[in-house]
Formats: sequence, structure tokens, C-alpha cells
Amino acid sequence: MSAVGSSNPEYVVARVRARRGSLYGDEEYRKLTRMGPAEIARFMEESSYGAEINALGSRHGGVDLIEYALNRNLAEQFDDILDWSEGALYDLIARYLRKFDAWNVKTVIRGVYTDADQSAIEVDLIRAGEFDDRRMRRLLEADSIDAVVEVLEDTIYGDPLREAYAEYEETDTLVPLENAVDRAFYERLLSGLGGGEPTRQYEAFLKAEVDFRNATNALRLARSGADIDPAAYFIEGGELFTRGSLARLARNLDDLVEYIADSQYGEELGPALRELEEADSLIAFEHATDAALLAYGDRLGTIHPVSVTPVISYILAKEREVENIRAIARGKEAGLSADEIESELVIT
Amino acid sequence: MLEATNELGNVALQAGGTLTDANAAAALAVGLAALGAGYAERGIGSAAVGAMAEDDDLFVNGLILTVLPETIVILALVVVFIV
Repeated sequence: MSAVGSSNPEYVVARVRARRGSLYGDEEYRKLTRMGPAEIARFMEESSYGAEINALGSRHGGVDLIEYALNRNLAEQFDDILDWSEGALYDLIARYLRKFDAWNVKTVIRGVYTDADQSAIEVDLIRAGEFDDRRMRRLLEADSIDAVVEVLEDTIYGDPLREAYAEYEETDTLVPLENAVDRAFYERLLSGLGGGEPTRQYEAFLKAEVDFRNATNALRLARSGADIDPAAYFIEGGELFTRGSLARLARNLDDLVEYIADSQYGEELGPALRELEEADSLIAFEHATDAALLAYGDRLGTIHPVSVTPVISYILAKEREVENIRAIARGKEAGLSADEIESELVIT
Repeated sequence: MLEATNELGNVALQAGGTLTDANAAAALAVGLAALGAGYAERGIGSAAVGAMAEDDDLFVNGLILTVLPETIVILALVVVFIV
């Protein structure tokens, strides 16, 4: 687990490919959509989630058990990948996995803000990022947002959070803090990527993700018609928008939809955009961006089999699986029918 | 380009830097082949160990694939018997 030495893609890719084989396929999802929460938990116990279900089974039950087992399994698998990789490979993978650090920081800040107790925050954390256990414990023990900022002083989130804290004290809303965390993450994501053809592919994927994030944010703002400055939510690094064009397009939904339909993503997102115009449903658009990213992720790693791309492809597939199982479990809990749940899943 | 290469060759000949001893050349051939095999096995070996860590049944396959590049060295050894 270090960024020194030469990278070892052969070893990591071999392990990751073996694990990819044990991810759920269409058949398993079809079975899962016809099960209740208890049955899903039992099904998971017999597959690669066995250890987590057993460890948490005595303390939680039902959908909570599934959710926590999924989170813990995800964290363990991604931690393993970081453990195995060395050198440049570690740096490339850690870039993406830092998103869980950002998630954890936001969860802790929200928890402190709403006075949630420590164990409630702890189960929602996903320990997949770079923060070690000691820092996590200190984060959990922080009893004020000021203390959280202090714990993060020496990380990439330190300075942005310190700046945003002043704004938070004035307005007493969490938006500036959360924006600061997101921005710090995305700034590091694309800065100083090394050379090489596989890295270019990885970069293209990251840019697409930033573009989709910007597009979704802009669509939300345009639809809500709220008086919020869209530029404040702009994430640097994408190719589709600039700060100026996003601010202009977010005022008018039709212009924005047309702009996205004419872009390089028009082909993949076209059907979803039409649906957005007709049914006014953002969910379909978000699913379409997810599916486009997943399809891209599946293609990653076929051209350069011994590089960072197959690892990223696995990380995406795993994330998607966890989200799908969670959607099934939550859908069952809410009493949705199997067909309705299936339409919520993102499967290639 | 071609003339330049020719000239370079002449200069090398005049300097007496060419390898004229057949045994030394054969030794060099085997050595380089072994170096290549070693490099190939480095990648295959680490991939094989990774696959074995996930699934013990892959031990035999991993072992066979790891030593496959060794054939290059054996073929290179033929040169030693020819010269």
C-alpha cells in the first residue's frame, strides 16, 4: 500500500479478474427481485458476501443488514485493491477511491450537524478510501464541525474546508462545506495524470463522469427554477461545459437538453433526453448516464489488458452491483413489484 | 539513410569492434534469450500468483504458464550445438 516503486498491474489485474467472475449476473438479479429481504440476506450469505453477513447478522436485521453488509464488503474489496497495488498504479486507483473519503467526510459533517450519535454515523461510513482507521476514529470522535475540520487539517481537504468554514459560520448551511469537499476531490482527480495510452482511456472516463455530474446538476437546477448560481456547483475538468456555458444553459431547460443532445454524448443519452422532454423525468436521465458510464467501464480494459483500466472496470462493476442489490432490497421493503424494481436496476 | 548505415558499418569494422568469435556470439545469444525469458516470467509469475491467491485450483495452470517462456532459452541453446 504505497505509491513508491514500480507498478504491478499483472498481479492486481489477475486478482481483480478472478473477483469479477463472481459478481452477480442477469440470472442472479432476476432471482433476487423475487425474494424478500431475509431471503436476499441468505442468498448473499452463500455468495461472496458471506463473511460480512455473518459478522453483522447478530446486530442488524432485514434491509439494514443487507445495506451494512454491502457497504462493508465494498470497503474491504477496494481496500484490498489499494493494498495490492504499488507505484503509479496505486496513484491511479487511489484517485478514484478518494471519492469514498469525500463521502465519509460529508457523512461525518452531516452527522455532527444533526447531532446524530457516533454509532449511527459509523455504520454509514464506507472505509474504502485512503484515510486510515486512526483518522476515522478521530473523525468520529469530533463533536463539532470545527473539530472535524481540524482532524482533516493535513489532508487535501484541509485548506478548502477551513475556507468554507467561515462561510458556514455565517450562513449555518452545510452547502459550502460539502461543495468544498467535492471540489477538493475533483481537483485532485484529474490533476497531473501521467502519460501512456491506458491512462488516456482512464482520463476519458473520468472526464465523462465529471461531464455527467455537471449535466445532472444543471438539469436539476434548470428544472427546479431555484435562484441558485449554477457556477457555484460547477466542477472543473470536464469537456462538455465551461463555467460560463453551464451558468448560461442552466437557466433554460430546452437549451440545455439540446446542448447535451448535440454533444459527443448525444448518441448514448439521446433516448433518455427525449424521455426527459416528454415525461419530465430526471430519473431516466440519471439511469442513462449510469448505464453509459457502465458500458464504457465494460469496454475499459479490453484494449490494454495489463494496465490500470481493467482494475477501474472492476471497481465500477462492483459499485454498480452494490447499488443494484441495495435498490432491490429497498424496493422490496417499500413493497414495489418485481417489474418496477427491475426497471430501477442498471445492468448491461 | 542507407549510405549512412553503410558508413557506420565500415567505421565499426575498422575499429575492430565486431564480434568474430563464434562461441562468444552463441553465449551472448543464449544469455539474451534467458534475459528475455526472465522478463516475460516476471509478468506471468506475478499474474499467476495473483490468480492462485483467489483460487487455489489455478496452481497447475499458473505453474505451466509461468515456465512457458523458458522454451525460448531451450531453443536458444540449439545455437550452442550448431556453432
